[in-house]
Amino acid sequence: MNLKFRLRQAGMIAKLELRRVFLAKRSLWVYLLALFPAVVFLGHGIDVKLDQQRWAGRVTPAAVLDSIERGDSEDEVIRRAGDPVSKRRYRRGRDSRGSTFSYFDGQRRVDVRIEDGLVASKNVRAHVNFEEDRQVFAGFFHYFYLRLAIFFGCLGIFMNLFRGEMMGKTLHFWFLAPVRRDVLLAGKYMAGLAAAVTIFTTGALLSFAAMLWPQDPAAVQAYWQQQGPSHLFWYGASSALACLGYGSVFLAAGLLVRNPIIPAVVLSFWEGINGFLPAMLQKLSVLYYVESLTPVPAPIGADAPVLARMLLAPAAPVSAATAVAGLLGVTVLVLWMASRRIGRLEINYSTE
Amino acid sequence: MGEGIVFDEVSKFYGEVLGVNRVSLHIPPGITSMVGPNGSGKTTLMNLMTGLIHPDRGSISVCGLSPRNPESLMRILGYATQYDAAPRGATGFDFVSAGLLLYGYSAEETRRRAWQALERVSLTEAAGRKVAGYSKGMRQRVRLAQAIAHDPEVLVLDEPLNGLDPLVRAETIAMFREFAARGRHVILSSHVLQEVDVISDQVILIANGMIIAEGQIRNVRDEIEEHPSQFMIRCRDASRLASLLFDMEHVAEVKLHEDRQGMLVLTRNRREFSLALTRLASSGSPVESVMAADENVDALYEYLIGGGR
Ligand SMILES: Nc1ncnc2c1ncn2[C@@H]1O[C@H](COP(=O)(O)OP(=O)(O)OP(=O)(O)O)[C@@H](O)[C@H]1O
Ligand SMILES: [Mg+2]
Repeated sequence: MNLKFRLRQAGMIAKLELRRVFLAKRSLWVYLLALFPAVVFLGHGIDVKLDQQRWAGRVTPAAVLDSIERGDSEDEVIRRAGDPVSKRRYRRGRDSRGSTFSYFDGQRRVDVRIEDGLVASKNVRAHVNFEEDRQVFAGFFHYFYLRLAIFFGCLGIFMNLFRGEMMGKTLHFWFLAPVRRDVLLAGKYMAGLAAAVTIFTTGALLSFAAMLWPQDPAAVQAYWQQQGPSHLFWYGASSALACLGYGSVFLAAGLLVRNPIIPAVVLSFWEGINGFLPAMLQKLSVLYYVESLTPVPAPIGADAPVLARMLLAPAAPVSAATAVAGLLGVTVLVLWMASRRIGRLEINYSTE
Repeated sequence: MGEGIVFDEVSKFYGEVLGVNRVSLHIPPGITSMVGPNGSGKTTLMNLMTGLIHPDRGSISVCGLSPRNPESLMRILGYATQYDAAPRGATGFDFVSAGLLLYGYSAEETRRRAWQALERVSLTEAAGRKVAGYSKGMRQRVRLAQAIAHDPEVLVLDEPLNGLDPLVRAETIAMFREFAARGRHVILSSHVLQEVDVISDQVILIANGMIIAEGQIRNVRDEIEEHPSQFMIRCRDASRLASLLFDMEHVAEVKLHEDRQGMLVLTRNRREFSLALTRLASSGSPVESVMAADENVDALYEYLIGGGR
């Protein structure tokens, strides 16, 4: 019974489990969570591309658009700039009515608001704003992907590794195999991890690609020459490390409680108040380290409510090396506790 | 492997509920049957010796190995549980072979052993079908195949004859015998003594989480038949009747009530006792009433020896 044989056993268990994890019906919503950001950014990209196509033949010279000023009359605007690419009318109050004319100069989109026949205001913005889209992506990644998608995805995958077999009354088959309980734990964890990392890093990379797709090729080129590769790497790596950390926590939770809502609530509360905890306890967190590893800090609006800012703002970030080491430390600690627990675990199918 | 299976003062509680209480056992090789009514603790004992649950008190050893060490124990032990479940979507063959890989057998050896085990329980034809679609008896047999596939020294089977038709039952029993003949342990459980008495080398009778009797079937039967029963007798001249009864061979003990109007009698032979009492009453002894003091215990023994219901 040497270490090599035990590792082989863990590998075999992982292989047997992997199919189940990937193909389980209840994994479907995990895929949906992982793909959601990619779908959103793809939708945005398609929207941008369609507009570009539709407006391609109706480009107004930039100089003309720049010359439009507040107080110009509606007829004057149409005479100089031609028909807008889109025209929206609205009513405000009883007898004030207005409309918005949108123009396109190939790069920028200019919205001219006309009230009572005169230009009331002009709003110029880039049709695709790379800077802004990257910020939106960072926000999505922090607030949706890390805190919701990977969190609940790992909950679904890892909690079921043991809990599912207790519910299905099949756990005793594993306990009657000639394997140490901690080897069984390792095998199952490896299966869950392989599945979670594959699903969520793919999801992160796909959404990143979808975000880049409609951008100005020159800007993207420049981005790749600077921070691009490092951003891509750390988005992928922090997704994978989040799976590693959350995975261990939910694997352990599945050995302790049957109701998945309890660990979900407890852990999100714990991560939520992390910023208020003493420095010692702050280190017992997954999110704390993973947020330190994300390439773009979470954008938080200055106008957000104080409480939200306190809860969502990450604790002081640490260096990448510290964060990776800290995360591995937390994972090993949690897995060690789980292996103690599984040694005492009993087959008890009757009480629910 | 000469040490057998040893329980030393083992107790197990499920919260407040008693599973088994202070069980001490030594099970030698051969076919051993655990017999007792529902909820008596058969499954609890089997789960304890296979490490699926752990004792609250006492210790267990299986051929010198601790049930807390599955890595070694499961190489020599196979357990077909009472839990009627199989991994979802698995065919009979998958089900038997999946576990075998973990013993370190090659893929080919695994396949060979799985087929051999399925053959022994006559399930080769259904091996490619999903276990979920098996009949109750087939599921029973595929669990048996899974338990014997690695050719264990100790075979633990929870109600293995349940749901088997007579033909398969005979085959299965023949297999147990063959196992035992090679000096191995076969431990099985049943509700009914009659079902297993002829095939068992020894039996263990269990009720309410306690061992009532253990040993070779003949001794156990005698023990049950002679188990002492208590009767409460009300009568006027109690001390005279007491001395008459006490002289009888089957009466073990007589306890006079303080009011001298009744007594408690312990007898080893109920039939003899009731005959004697009838005789005494008809010859003028003023017996007012006779009551069995321990009806529950009596019923239990009747159940165990009489074949149950
Ligand atoms: N998981 C459990 N939780 C609570 N009580 C339990 C549990 N398992 C068994 N018990 C109790 O322990 C006692 C012994 O149960 P056990 O299952 O060992 O009986 P058994 O002899 O196998 O019965 P059966 O013939 O019905 O299979 C019963 O009183 C039962 O209610
Ligand atoms: Mg039982």
